[in-house]
Formats: sequence, C-alpha cells, structure tokens
Amino acid sequence: MNEPWLRLDPRMLLVHPLREVVKFLPVLIGMVVAGGASGAGPWGVVGIGVPVVIGLVRYLTTSYRISESRVELRRGLVQRHTLSSGLDRVRSVDVTATVAHRALGLATLVIGTGSVATDGDEQLELDGLPREQADALRSRLLRLSTAPAGTTEPGAAPAAVPIARFSARWLWYAPFTSAGLVALGALVGVVGQTSEMVDLDLRISEDDLEAVTGLLLLGAVAAVAVLVVVVTVVGYLVVNGGFTLVREGGAWHVRRGLLTTRDTSIDETRVAGVSRGEPAGLRLARGARLSVIATGLARSGDASTILVPPAAQAVVAGAAEAVLGSPAPMSAALRPHGRAAVRRRYTRALLGALPFAAAPVVLVAVGGPAWLLLGAALAAGVALALARDRARALGHTLVDGFIVTRSGSLLRRRDALGTEHVIGWTFRDTWFQRRIGLTDVAATTAGGSGQVGVPDVPAEAAITWAGSATPGLVDPFLTSSARV
Amino acid sequence: MSSLRDPARRVSPRARVLWQVECAISAGVAVIAVAVAALVWDASFRWWVVGGVALLAVAYAAVVPQWRYAVHRWEVTETAVYTQRGWWARERRIAPMSRVQTVDLAQGALARAFRLATVTVTTASAAGPLRIDGLDHTTAVALVDELTAKADLVEGDAT
Repeated sequence: MNEPWLRLDPRMLLVHPLREVVKFLPVLIGMVVAGGASGAGPWGVVGIGVPVVIGLVRYLTTSYRISESRVELRRGLVQRHTLSSGLDRVRSVDVTATVAHRALGLATLVIGTGSVATDGDEQLELDGLPREQADALRSRLLRLSTAPAGTTEPGAAPAAVPIARFSARWLWYAPFTSAGLVALGALVGVVGQTSEMVDLDLRISEDDLEAVTGLLLLGAVAAVAVLVVVVTVVGYLVVNGGFTLVREGGAWHVRRGLLTTRDTSIDETRVAGVSRGEPAGLRLARGARLSVIATGLARSGDASTILVPPAAQAVVAGAAEAVLGSPAPMSAALRPHGRAAVRRRYTRALLGALPFAAAPVVLVAVGGPAWLLLGAALAAGVALALARDRARALGHTLVDGFIVTRSGSLLRRRDALGTEHVIGWTFRDTWFQRRIGLTDVAATTAGGSGQVGVPDVPAEAAITWAGSATPGLVDPFLTSSARV
Repeated sequence: MSSLRDPARRVSPRARVLWQVECAISAGVAVIAVAVAALVWDASFRWWVVGGVALLAVAYAAVVPQWRYAVHRWEVTETAVYTQRGWWARERRIAPMSRVQTVDLAQGALARAFRLATVTVTTASAAGPLRIDGLDHTTAVALVDELTAKADLVEGDAT
C-alpha cells in the first residue's frame, strides 16, 4: 500500500464556499440588514470568511488513495475519519454533478460497497474530481471489482449501444406518476400558505356561492390540472432528461438528469433481478418503471436502483429482457393463487370499506338525507374494484432460473429474482390463513428490500415453488410421506 | 400432498414460564393503566371496562405463552437452519448454511434468571435475521458453536 494520498480537485475550493455561502445566506441577509442598521462592518467579513475557511479546511483535510486492492478516504480536521474498503466489495459507482460542479468541469464519485450504513459520514464519497478523472476512476473501479486483475484488456470492450434512451414521448407518463399527486398536494399547500400570509379572506358567503357558476368551477379545475401537468412534466424532464441505459465493461450504466447529471454504474455480476413497478396511474397510461435488485444496493426506493424511469411498457420490457437475458420473467403467464386467495382479497377490501359504508347507513337511519347512501355505495364499489384488481394481480412462477411474483393494485409490482440469489425462504401465515391453506411466501436476498414475496399462496404450491427454485433446501423439512 | 413439517426440536420448557412472567407483567401494566384511567373518568360503566380488560389480560397471560411454546421450534441440519416462531401468526424461515453470516447469542436480565438465551442467525438479507427464543443456555452455546463451525466450512461472502 504505497500509493500516494491524493487531494480532490482544487476547483472544489470554489464549489464548497459557494455552497456554504448559500447555506449561510439567511444568516448573511440577516447580518446585512442588521449591519446596515447598526453600521457594523467587521461582521460582514466574518459572514463571508467563515464559509470560505470551512471550504478550505475541508479541501486540505480530505484525501484519498486507490491501490490494487483497496480504496481509502481520509477526512476531518478535529475528528479524523478514515474509510477503507476492498475493491472486490465495490457494487456500484455513482457519478453525479450538480450545476455548480458542471460549470467547473467537476463531478462527485460515490462508491457503493454494500454497507448498510446510512450515515453520510460513512459513505465513500469523493466530492470534486475532474470529470474525466471521475469517469476513468469509475471504469477502473468496476473493472477491478468485476474481474480478477489481468484478465481484462482495456480497450477490448465492444462499442456500447444504449438499451433504452430518453424520448420526448415519455413526458406523457409524467402526470400519471405519484409525483402528480405530490405536485397536487404541494399546490394545495402553497395556495393555503400564501392565502394565509397575505391574509386573504376565504370565507364564502351565500351570494358568492350563487355566483360560482359551473363554468367557473370547471375553469378552476382545468387550471389546477394544467398546473399539475406542467409541474410534473418539468420535474420529470429535470430528473430524467437525457436518460440512457447502456451496458459497458461488465456493468450497467444509467445516465440521467438535465441540470444535476447522475451517472450510476451497477456491477453486472451483482444484478440479482429486476422489479417492474406498475402503479394504477401508470398502468392507466400504459406505462411502467423498472428498478434493479442488486446485491449490496440497499432500499428498493433508492434513486440509484432505477433502471428505467416511468416509460412505455415496451421500453421497460426491452430493458428487463436485456438485463435478465430473457424476456420470460416479465412476460410469462403466472400461476394464480386460487379461489381462497381471491375470496380473501374481497373479504379484506370489504372489511376495510365497512366503516365508510356503514357510517352513511347509520346516519340515514337516524334521519340523515337519503343521498348519503350514495356514499355507502361508492365505498363498496371502490372496495370491490380494488379487490378484483388485486385478485387478478396475484401470481407467482419459476421461469428461466428466475422466481417471479406479482401483487398489488394501486402499487402493483412484478419482481423477478435469479434463483442463485435466493438466500432463504420465509413462510408466514396467520390462523385465518392456515385455516384455508394459504401462506405468505418470501424469498430473502441480499439486495433491494431484502426479500421478494407474494401473499396468499396455496401452501402446497408454495412448497413446490420454493423446492424447485432452490433444489435440496426445502426437501429435508417436508412431511415424511412427501419425501421421495 | 407435500407440506412443510414442524422443525424437529422444541425450545426449553422453561421458556413457557419465562413467557408467562413476561406476559403477566405486560398484561398487569395494561390493567393498571386502565384502572388508573377509570379512577379519573367518571362514567357509570367504567368498572365494567376495567373488568373486561382484566379478563382479557388474564386470558392473554394464560393462553399466549402456551400457544407460543407449541409453535416455537427449530432445527439445524448439515445444509440449513429451519426456525418456526409466533403464535397467531406463524413464521417459518429456512436459511441455507452457506448464507449464514453471523451467529449471535443474547440473554436478557429475566432470561438469565431462567438460564435461557436467544440465538440470532443473520444472513445478508435486509429482511431480518432468524431468531430462536427460549433456548436452554447450554443448548444455545452448543448451537452457536455448531453453526459457526458449519458456516465456516463454506467458501464465499454469503451474498
């Protein structure tokens, strides 16, 4: 380990103080205002100086080195941190660049090692390398982690053809994502806040109500809808603009972002499976999204697990086929879970809707207006529709060496996990489920959320499924009559 | 007709007593809390509520430890660890020996009084470890040694 310790790029001296100044902005404004009133000059110097010094100290105390087998990062002035990780443990490399970084030709390199530490201090992050150096380092890290030293020849990699590429047509899916709901919520919140701030009187009198014609109401709804569409489309464009999915040098590279560019590389050998998200809204628009289940990449909601953002189903299918090496896991017919599981979907949905359906009935019974019964009918209708959709979603299978599950309605997902990545099984059933011979099955894995599971599998099918996915693992624990 | 059988070995019979004590303590706390609430809450039926809760608490402390003891089982073979726990909801977990990462032995203050221990077997999955509660301390120590030795024989990083 005789590699020299290296510094980050000196241009970071500009980025850090800039960022610190932005952080200090409220304080600075306060000082300027207060200083202007009292005429105190020195405080202004401190306000500018402190962030600059912090940036300088950070630059001077941070250094890293990469040898044949380890990557090490040293930082901190008072509390020294030295992070060290074996290169064979590198699972993913993330290169991001904010607008400030890009203006200076810099990038941030984050090395994912599969550690579950969520503490920012424990992350192997090299903030501020020249862009070319970051890219070179990324391919070096991935090369070292994927193949034993000496077996790969640099330059021998075939030209990379994008598996999927951003298309303006994808913007159609933006309003159908959950971001649409968030935007709507934010809009309502902002309107509420501002009306409070400017002290708008929002009490509506009887006369006002009469003045509100249907046309005006329609106009207001249309305005909100347009605003939500604009916000979601712009948001989608900023995050996903310029998206490409490429396979290169033994890794998958996902590049996206219009302002802050984000370039995630996932070691091919760590890919355990994929998860196709098809929430109700996206399904309505004939779209889907795809994320990767990769060993050591924690949390399936993590942005670095995204393979394809909300896009056309065909694009997602193509990407899944390329990543898994087979179209079957995402297209094969699934084994349904039978009548007991379907009945359970209806029972549970109707039980959930019961309070909402019962309340209006009770109100009418004690003398409320009869139209309240419509509410009860609506609650029951929604419950039935949900139950029907959830029942249709349920399924599992084993195809081409992947276990495949599908469940859910509003948040439907279809997961495929390579059987060699299954590191255990969990069978969970309540007394109710045991009575009707159903069990929740989950295959545990080292990637993603830790398991891929599906509820209410007929007990016998569950055993057959687990048994054929991982031969020999379940067999010793079967009832003696079943053993061959 | 194939189905999973129960794991071969039961946990220590003393676990029943430990769980009875634990359940009695938490049930007792609940009853006291409701009784205190009843003292300050003046409704004609308040003591009926307290009575009902007390009845439920007694039933809980009497039934749950027995039920749990009937469910909790474990088994270790040359190739896998198989555990079963729970009472109303039963959870059966199987992990291949080759994927075992760490083996842990833990003893609470109360468990120590009963010479009982909990063995936790973690794999690389974020979905949680396999746990065997209420093991006799000697059995637990032997189990930890056995698992460590067997898991050690397998090459690789267990992911």
